[in-house]
Amino acid sequence: MYDVWKNALAEIEQKISPANFSTWFQDTSLISTKNGNVRIGVKNTFFVKQLRNRYLDIIKTALENNNVVINTIDFEVQTSSKVKPRSREITKTDIDLKSHVKNYAKTLKTESSRQTGLNKKYTLDSFVVGSNNDLAVSVAKSIIDSPGSRYNPFFLYGGPGLGKTHLVQAIGNELLRRNPNFKIFYTPIAHFYSDFIDAIQNGKGREFSRKFEKLDCLIIDDFQFIVGKEKSQEEFFNIFNDLYQLNKQIIVTSDRLPSQIKTVDERLATRLTWAGAFDLQLPKFEDKCAILKAKAELMGAEIEDEAIEYLAENVNTNIRDLEGELSSLLVMSEVRGLTPLELIENGSIYVNKTSKLRPTSPKQVVEKVAKFYNLPVKEMCGKSRVAHIKNARQVAMFLLSKELSLSTNKIASEVGVKDHTTVMHGIKKIEKDLKLNFTLRDEIESIKEKIYG
Amino acid sequence: MKIKVTQEKLNKALSNVSRIAVGKVTLPILNNVLIRVNKKKVSLITTNLDMAVIDFLPVSSSEDGVVTVPAKLLAEFVSNLPKGETIEISSKDTKVTIKSGKYSSTINGALADDFPELPEINEKEAVIYKIGVDEFKNSIGQVIVATSNDLTRPALTGVFFNTYNQTLAIAATDGYRLAEKKLIDKVESEVKAIVPASSLQEVLRAISDDIEEVEISFNEDLVRFRLGEIEIISKLIDASYPDYKKLIPKDHKIKVTLDREELTRVTKLAALFARSVGGSIVCETKEPDTFLVKSIANEFGENDSMIETKVEKAGKVNLNSRFLLDALNVMEEPQITFEFSDHIAPILLKNKKDNKYTHIIMPLNS
Repeated sequence: MYDVWKNALAEIEQKISPANFSTWFQDTSLISTKNGNVRIGVKNTFFVKQLRNRYLDIIKTALENNNVVINTIDFEVQTSSKVKPRSREITKTDIDLKSHVKNYAKTLKTESSRQTGLNKKYTLDSFVVGSNNDLAVSVAKSIIDSPGSRYNPFFLYGGPGLGKTHLVQAIGNELLRRNPNFKIFYTPIAHFYSDFIDAIQNGKGREFSRKFEKLDCLIIDDFQFIVGKEKSQEEFFNIFNDLYQLNKQIIVTSDRLPSQIKTVDERLATRLTWAGAFDLQLPKFEDKCAILKAKAELMGAEIEDEAIEYLAENVNTNIRDLEGELSSLLVMSEVRGLTPLELIENGSIYVNKTSKLRPTSPKQVVEKVAKFYNLPVKEMCGKSRVAHIKNARQVAMFLLSKELSLSTNKIASEVGVKDHTTVMHGIKKIEKDLKLNFTLRDEIESIKEKIYG
Repeated sequence: MKIKVTQEKLNKALSNVSRIAVGKVTLPILNNVLIRVNKKKVSLITTNLDMAVIDFLPVSSSEDGVVTVPAKLLAEFVSNLPKGETIEISSKDTKVTIKSGKYSSTINGALADDFPELPEINEKEAVIYKIGVDEFKNSIGQVIVATSNDLTRPALTGVFFNTYNQTLAIAATDGYRLAEKKLIDKVESEVKAIVPASSLQEVLRAISDDIEEVEISFNEDLVRFRLGEIEIISKLIDASYPDYKKLIPKDHKIKVTLDREELTRVTKLAALFARSVGGSIVCETKEPDTFLVKSIANEFGENDSMIETKVEKAGKVNLNSRFLLDALNVMEEPQITFEFSDHIAPILLKNKKDNKYTHIIMPLNS
């Protein structure tokens, strides 16, 4: 019945304007066609009369073309809260799905080893590589091939829920698999300093640092929480230096660059990014689809491509949320006995996670950039070819394009340049510079903070 | 189509109908007002597909016809014309010309064919109530404060009209507080309907001094409010309303009578200190004559205020100061009763004399 209505809608869509179609037909459903008494569900009473008086003939033809026998057509108000889950026979695939989900839940129970602190569920195979993280992943692979050499220390940063912990633990697990005698220790920084304080209080400070000296690889997670722990920071600095001298691999993750963490000692901050800082970015639409597909496959669940696209389109915060929505959708689908897509279409699931960043106006962006570089707006948005002014202007173009998704023509008028080709050149230049120039990256990050903060 | 009407009348009608004609990007015609003249009867109509506002405009002369015009533009144009002038609106195809003395403008309208057809009340089956406008305005104001804007629980975003014991009562709750008002005694017909709060707000806005009575007609899934020349029709929320009467506690151990203004003042004082703890304040009774309102904010300090009143039993309850202020704000009498029993049972607020209004607030965990 569901398919019949879908086909009918597809036909109706071609006959009337898109505005009318999306207004009047979006939330309709076919309730029953029993004995030729067709019953159509609509959102509220305002839709009944419109559909009956204006669109009855179209609906009739569309249904008849789909071999529905029609005596009468009735419209019923049916809000989504009232939609009852249709009972469905439990077929074999359903049982499979159920047990798969259960099995997956079992494997999810953390199997972290006491000695290394690593959780075995994080593997490189289950890390979905996309344009948002390919650089970091290739660095990770080269570390696995030759730890403690080129990329030491490995500093990985990015927002919450983008896979930092996953990636660094996967490196640890893979290193351990290849060299079973490797001494690896993974710890969130919070545990590091609570252990450190315990050790000091028990008069075992010396033992504490000796424990680290023997390691082949140290992984520190969530480094940003070091804020305000000066003693621990000093201890960490010493351990860091010792290990580094011995060419042992050090891996550190954080949600921002060390220079942006307020109370971090400058000596430590520069050392951490000696071998470069690698970031994990928000996944693009295609990346998100790939992540969801991989995740669903891992859980052994079946999910339609449309449902995956729906999730990818509507979850814009991070990968953790993406996976959270996916698993709640799958559980719901198991409980209700409907497929994920059916759940979405009948409105039982509503997802809308967007980033909390405030939208801002182009003018504000331009002003903030000018202020950051200590230039009057007029001068920045002028014709000057002086290097630092030109650079500021290009940063403004870059931000207008990335943060506000303005067209290049619009940007040209905002920053007062001749035409869109200049803008395209400017954006490209900043994009290129960003890859190598860490100061520029910092600058742009702090301008962003000012814009949104 | 042609109408002649004074600026005041047209301005008022347009400001009533144009408010809801906004923001539907999917169907641009919903930004328009439909002007229809049929046998000397002129109506201005707008809708947002959840509700519709119809204003029957008395005019001095007219010619039949129908057209739609962007509502906001027309309303703003007319409101800026000088008062007391006669305005003439005429249309040719979709061009609408507005003339008034020295001013004239032409607005590009749209054909009325695309304007949605509106549902109508089935008068035969309708349940109809009439109520004085002041009583209506007050009562709706008293319960609408307790509606929720949580769209995941649609029932709670509306005001529940229901009859029991031959009384028509209206109620609203957001799960943390509940307000009920007995609207009409001795009614014969029965009704159970949830009217969207947004529609009621629109009804309240449309009330002006020259209206005396509100007529409310319910159909199964539609409600119509008639106020003089204005009709507002709205969908009803299609959901089942929780059995709220069970939430109203029957007997309380502690009951005090308080001066409403005084309680409002001390609650406001306490609220200043309660900001950092989510507005939580403590109300405490002490025998024989002390009612205390306290709040503590670790970083700012704390506040203690005392009201003298007869107390028979000591007790203490935590509650949200904002909810208490909302309730006090809509109550009418100078003296109110404040009843509670312990930390879990809801707090009950009533006017001292009149028994029609009940407001309950769930206490916070202390």
